[in-house]
Amino acid sequence: MTSMRPELPREFVAGHKRRRMMDAIAELTAEQGYEATKIADIVRRAAVARKTLYDNFDGKEDLFLSAIDTSLREMRVIVEEACERTQGEEEKVSAGLEALLDYIAGHPAESKMCLVEAISATPSSARLYDVGVRHFVELLRASAPSGADLPKTIEESLVGGVAWIIQQQVRRGEAESVLELHDELRQFVLSPYLGVGRVGGAGRRK
Amino acid sequence: MGPGGESDSTVADFIARMDRLPRGRHGLSPEYVARNQRERLIAGLIEALYDVGYQKTTVSLIGQQAAVSKSDFYKHFESKDDCFIAAYEMAVERIREHVDLACGEAEGHDWAQRVRHGLAALLDLFDAEPALASIVLVEGLRAGRGVYDRYQAALESFVAYLREGAPLSPTGAEVPEATAEAVVGGVASMLGRRILAGEGEHLGQLFPESLEFALAAYLGAEEARRITSAG
Repeated sequence: MTSMRPELPREFVAGHKRRRMMDAIAELTAEQGYEATKIADIVRRAAVARKTLYDNFDGKEDLFLSAIDTSLREMRVIVEEACERTQGEEEKVSAGLEALLDYIAGHPAESKMCLVEAISATPSSARLYDVGVRHFVELLRASAPSGADLPKTIEESLVGGVAWIIQQQVRRGEAESVLELHDELRQFVLSPYLGVGRVGGAGRRK
Repeated sequence: MGPGGESDSTVADFIARMDRLPRGRHGLSPEYVARNQRERLIAGLIEALYDVGYQKTTVSLIGQQAAVSKSDFYKHFESKDDCFIAAYEMAVERIREHVDLACGEAEGHDWAQRVRHGLAALLDLFDAEPALASIVLVEGLRAGRGVYDRYQAALESFVAYLREGAPLSPTGAEVPEATAEAVVGGVASMLGRRILAGEGEHLGQLFPESLEFALAAYLGAEEARRITSAG
């Protein structure tokens, strides 16, 4: 690395390598599953030395968990920011959902890793997935239109429903076209609060 | 299921009944005993899973629960996963039969009443058998690809129930295509999360909320609440 780009500071290169390893495990688990992904595949894909991997992570699972955690965090930050900069409860939910779908469409491998592989790969990855879902449940609870007297589990059901639809799309290898679901999912999420058929027009920034 | 119409027995009855089997020279055919062993092992796995989780559910523990030796276990199943898949299929089948029956009884009623009957049957079953709910809604998802496909297929069959005769929205507009899938996926996910939160013994209490959620996606929150509380 240093011979190619002598001007880059050491921390930058190190951070870049970490990122490459996390990208590699995302791609590989999306392609062939967590079980089948070997350390040798990861270092080859990331073009790093095996030692670099072990300098940065305890092993395959640690790398996997770090990658999931990083991607879920990015996903959450992007959605939260979209909600924050949007005015109006209905619009907030719509914008948050759009940001989520947009992230997934732009990051198909990371999304498959976080939303599909994580659930069944290891007990710790399943826990990260559960925590991720809980954050979205809380975010919906905080952002959704107030006033309606709804069951206390409504946000869990709505987030679970959206996750299920997205997971199926991602599993079919169609993450890139997930934005097409925006309008239907927006209506699904908002209907209990606003009334079925009363959710406003398309609501997507063109 | 064993001979003699035992298809609606619970896992618990099943084990109890097995305990009453006379030991030794009971005059039962080897096929019958082998079949019982297999079913007992399946029941044993479901119980073990519920008690200690997937990781700690070993072949020895399943054998202990079922009173079947480890070597006999391997006459029926290649591995823990093989037994898991058999258990999963049996569990899904029981749920389907149960819900089918309830929906059949509600034949001729309107859509909302059929949904109510089906969902009530589902949650009654989960309430009576938390171990069954746990394997289907939580453990199955964690067990990897083969079981996930079965989870997906099970949910799909409930999507069909929900779609059948589903009404237009109150404004007359078509309810979005993804609604039925989202509702089924949402209820399954919510129940799974409640199990993880330690409420698995009381899933029956979530019947009104689940019904209200399912109906609200089609009829709106107010109508859903009216129907739910009308009983």
